[in-house]
Amino acid sequence: MNLPNYFLADLPPEAVLSAGIISEACQTLKRNREKYLAARSTESLIKTLSGVAENWIEPDYSFRKCALESGPAQTGFSRETLARGLDNFFGQLTRENFHALLIQEFGDAKRLDAFCSPPVEQKQNRSAILNAPEFQVHICAGNIPNPTLTSIVFGLLLRSAQFVKCASGSSFLPRLFAHSIYEADPKLGACLEIAEWRGGNPALENALFDEADCVTATGSDETLAAIRARLPLKTNFLGYGHRVSFGFVAKEELYGSSAKKIAARVADDVVAWNQLGCLSPHVIYVQLGGEIFPEHFAQLLADELEKREAREPRGELPAEHAAAIALRRGIYEVRAAHAPEMTRHFFSTDSTAWTVIFEAHARFQVSCLNRFIYINAVTDLTAALQGADEIREKVSTVGIAVSEEKKQEIATQLARWGATRICPLGQMQNPPLTWRHDGRPALGDLISWTDFES
Amino acid sequence: MNQELSKFAARLREMIFLSETIGDQKFNSLALELFALQFENNSVYKKICEARKLTPQIVEHWTQIPPVPTSAFKEFELTSLAPNERTTTFHSSGTTEQKPSRHFHNAESLALYEASLWNWFQPHFAGDGNLIFLTPPARQAPNSSLIHMFETIRQKVGLAETVFEGTISADGSWTLNFFEIIGKLKSVCASAKPLTLMGTAFSFVHLLDFLAENNLQFELPENSRVMETGGYKNRSRTMPKTELHSLIEKFLGVPRENIFCEYGMSELSSQAYAGADGIFQFPPWTRVQIISPETGREVREDEIGLIRIFDLANVFSVAAIQTEDLGIRRGTGFELVGRAQLAEPRGCSLMTA
Repeated sequence: MNLPNYFLADLPPEAVLSAGIISEACQTLKRNREKYLAARSTESLIKTLSGVAENWIEPDYSFRKCALESGPAQTGFSRETLARGLDNFFGQLTRENFHALLIQEFGDAKRLDAFCSPPVEQKQNRSAILNAPEFQVHICAGNIPNPTLTSIVFGLLLRSAQFVKCASGSSFLPRLFAHSIYEADPKLGACLEIAEWRGGNPALENALFDEADCVTATGSDETLAAIRARLPLKTNFLGYGHRVSFGFVAKEELYGSSAKKIAARVADDVVAWNQLGCLSPHVIYVQLGGEIFPEHFAQLLADELEKREAREPRGELPAEHAAAIALRRGIYEVRAAHAPEMTRHFFSTDSTAWTVIFEAHARFQVSCLNRFIYINAVTDLTAALQGADEIREKVSTVGIAVSEEKKQEIATQLARWGATRICPLGQMQNPPLTWRHDGRPALGDLISWTDFES
Repeated sequence: MNQELSKFAARLREMIFLSETIGDQKFNSLALELFALQFENNSVYKKICEARKLTPQIVEHWTQIPPVPTSAFKEFELTSLAPNERTTTFHSSGTTEQKPSRHFHNAESLALYEASLWNWFQPHFAGDGNLIFLTPPARQAPNSSLIHMFETIRQKVGLAETVFEGTISADGSWTLNFFEIIGKLKSVCASAKPLTLMGTAFSFVHLLDFLAENNLQFELPENSRVMETGGYKNRSRTMPKTELHSLIEKFLGVPRENIFCEYGMSELSSQAYAGADGIFQFPPWTRVQIISPETGREVREDEIGLIRIFDLANVFSVAAIQTEDLGIRRGTGFELVGRAQLAEPRGCSLMTA
C-alpha cells in the first residue's frame, strides 16, 4: 500500500527533521484546528471515530490489510497477534462506549459542546462547560500501539490539534491509523501530525514543547522527569511511567475443567501484544491448597502456550531479546537441577517462543517478556502481595480468577493495597475505553471546566 | 582434591609452556577427559549435566558438553576445590552487582591461570617491558582476576609495583594517579622507549577526559601499545569502541594497529585478544562457539549469537562457560557486540532482576 505524504512520518528515512519544520507543522495544526475542528460537535466526532473503528475490524479494509501484511516486518508482531490486538482495540471504539466515557468523565455527553447541567447541578442552578487544550503533544514509548492510538482518539474527541512523536521504529501503526482518519475525514486528519525520531533530541523537542498546551508522555521515570523539567509551568503535563501487572488464581477455582479454562485465559494475557504492555502479566500467583497444584497449573499453561504458538506465533525477535530469554532460561535450568521442588521450567523447543517458570515462593520477578511468564505458588493473596511489595508503587493491573463469593473481598484487598485496575484473567491487556489509566480520570486530567452559577 | 585433576592441570601447563599445537582432535580428547573428571568431582556441575541428560557416557564431542551460565557462579560454588583448599577467589566486577560471581582457586589452578595468561599475552605484546597499568595494585584488589593477570605480567617482566597507577578510593571506585601518569608519559616521550599502557575501557575514558580537560596531548614513542579491556560497569560514561580508539590515537599518539582489546572474565582462565580488525582470538587450549539464542545451536559465519567458551585451563571449576555476551562469528574467532540486557526488560526500568 502506497501511503501519500500527509505526515512527517511518511517522509523517506533520509529526510532530516529540523526545529523549523517542527514549528511550522505546529502552526499549521493549530490553524487547521481553528478552521476544521474547534466548532465540530462531539456527536459528529464520535460518528467519524466509531465509523473508522468499524472499518478497522473489516477484513477487507485496506489499512487493516496493510497493517497485517507489512506489520510483522515493521513491528515484530505476528499477523495473528496484530489481528487480535487490533480487533480488541477497535472493538472498544463504539458510539455506546464513547457516550459511556463522556458521561463517566463529565456527567453529560454534551459538556464539550454547551453548558450542561445534570440533575444534581440543576438543583443548585449550576451548569458547566468544558475547555480542552488547543494543542496536545504526545511523546509515545511505543512497545505496543494501544496507548498511542488511545491518545489520538481522545485528542480528537476533545477537539485538540495533536502532534504525535513516536519512538524510533514505532510509528507504523499510529501512522496507518492517522491515514485512515485522513481518508475518512481529511479535515480531521489535517489536525493530526505523526513523526518519529529517537528521543533525546533537544532541538526538535524544544520546538515542539514551545507550542504545546498539554504534553502527554509514556516512558521510564527518567524520561518523564526529563520532559517535565523542560516544560514551561503553564503547560499541562501528563506522564505515564512504566507499570507492571500480575495475576492471582484462588484455590477454589483450581479443579479440572476450571483450571484448564483459567490457563487458557492466562495464555490470552501472555500472548496479547507478546506481553509487552504495562497491563501484561509478569507473574501469576497461584494459591496452594486447590485440587490442582500451582506446579501442575504451570504445566497446563505451558500446554496452552504451545497450542497458541501454532495458532498465533510470537514472531521473530532481535538477537538481544532472544538472548535475554535464553540467558534467563539458563539460570532457571541450573536452579531446577539443584532444587526441583523449588523451581521448574517449561520451554518451547528449538525456539524462545514461550517460557513458563514455576517457583515455589512469592517474590515478584520482572519478566523479560515476549511470552515469558512466572507461576509462583502462594498460600493466599496476602502472601502474594507481600511478595510483590517491591513493585507496589508500580502496579497497574491485577487479573484475577476467584469465586463469586470472594470476588468483592479480594478486589477490596487489592484496591487497598494499591492496584489501580482489577479485571478477570484473560482481559488484562484489553481494558475498556472508560479505563482510568493508572487510577487517574480517563479524560478529566486533559480538560478544564467553566462553572456557571445562574 | 582430586589427583586426576591435578595431573590434568600439570599436563596442560606443560603443553602451554611448550606451546604445543592443540589440533581439533587433541582438543576434543582433552576436553572429554576433563569433562569426565569435572562431572565426577564437581557435584554442582554433575547435577546440571544429569538434569540435561548429558553425562560422560553420552557425550561424544566437546561441543555437546553442557555449559554453565556465568550467572550460576553467583549462586553456586562451581568448583572441585574443598573450602579449605581455596586460597584465592576471583569475583566478577561491576558496581551494580549485588552478588558477584565467585571463581575459586588454589596454588595449582593459579599456576595454570598464570601460565595461560602469560603464554597468550606474550605474542600480542612482545615489547621491552615498559609498562603502565591503569588499575590499582594487586594488594588492593585481591579478588580481581584482571589485576591478578596484570600482577603476573609485572612479576614476569620484573618491574616495581609502581607500574600500577590506580587506587581504590573509600567508596570502592577505581581512581587514577593522574599526575604520576602524566609525569611518566612525559618521561617516556623524552626517552623514546616504547610503552605499553593497559587498563579497563573506563580507566581510559577517565584518563582521556583528564588529558582533554588539561589540554594535554602525547605522542608516545613508536611501537608503543595500548591494551583496553572490559566494559564500563557504570564507572564512567560509555563510549563506542571506535570513538575510544580514535581518542587514544589523538591524545596518546598510538596508532589504531597498536591498540588491542582483551576479552576475559573472572569465570575463565584464558583471555582473547583482538587487534585492529576487531576479531577476538582465544589461545589454542580454548575454543569458542557463537550460539543462536533462539535454537541453542551454533550460528553460521557472520551471524550473531551468544558467546560460549570452552576453556581447558578452567580445570578445577567448569570448562564449558556460557557467557552473557553477544558476538558475531568470524572464522575461529568472534567480533564482540556487547552484553545482552538480562536484567532490564524492554520498556521497563523498574528494578534489577
